[in-house]
Amino acid sequence: MKQQNEFNSEHEHQHDTGQRLNQNTAQEFATVEELLRHDASQTSVPTGIATRLQKSSAEFPRPNRSWWQRLFGQ
Amino acid sequence: MNEPMADRECPLPAQVDWEPPEFANLYAEHSRAIFYLSLRFLGDPQKAEDATHDVFLKAFKKMDQFRGEASWRTWLYRIAINHCRNLQQSWNERHMFSNADEAIWENAVAQSDSPFRILETKELGERIQKALDVLPDEYRLLLLLIADEQLSYEEVGTLTEQSADAVRGKLHRARKAFAAQFKKSE
Repeated sequence: MKQQNEFNSEHEHQHDTGQRLNQNTAQEFATVEELLRHDASQTSVPTGIATRLQKSSAEFPRPNRSWWQRLFGQ
Repeated sequence: MNEPMADRECPLPAQVDWEPPEFANLYAEHSRAIFYLSLRFLGDPQKAEDATHDVFLKAFKKMDQFRGEASWRTWLYRIAINHCRNLQQSWNERHMFSNADEAIWENAVAQSDSPFRILETKELGERIQKALDVLPDEYRLLLLLIADEQLSYEEVGTLTEQSADAVRGKLHRARKAFAAQFKKSE
């Protein structure tokens, strides 16, 4: 939610490796939401979904772009 | 960590070339949020994968019906929640399963304001899933939605058909219930 999102760690982050998380580093999350956000950020979307979706959507007519294209970006 | 759940972090595979291209943007921007909600709500990676596919396919077919009254994110969440609830309901009917009475969670002993200290992150996802699995569906859904920084209490209330105040009240109990379950697995 719209709140301060602190990420506490006992050790320094290893910024140089690009890793946000060292698996052996103790971490503290002040709230359930922070914990879940962290979990979400570590969750990858399987690439197979996009490929499958492309095939499935090809079987249907394209949406009428003129209408919703204006709304894009909201 | 100061990072929204999904912000164009899910690049499409190189071979995917969608028409219309705006739909590809929609997928890239929101697929992680939808997949994560499906994963943790349903508790099964394969079901979550299928659900994410189905949610975006429904979105593709219904794009003409989007009127801009809510954000794309909220619109997609609505489709995902309905879809996941239907899946959950049919599974529960087949297995005669129901969540424990909500009153049980009123007495959860853990304090939701004490920090979650994680020493071993390798199995963090598993611990989170186990804690979520035993919560009533409503609590699980509220926690997952409220964790998305792009949603306000009002939007979560609209998605779960209740007032923002009701969301706040239930969240307090949901946090406590989650904390009690999560700390059991320490």
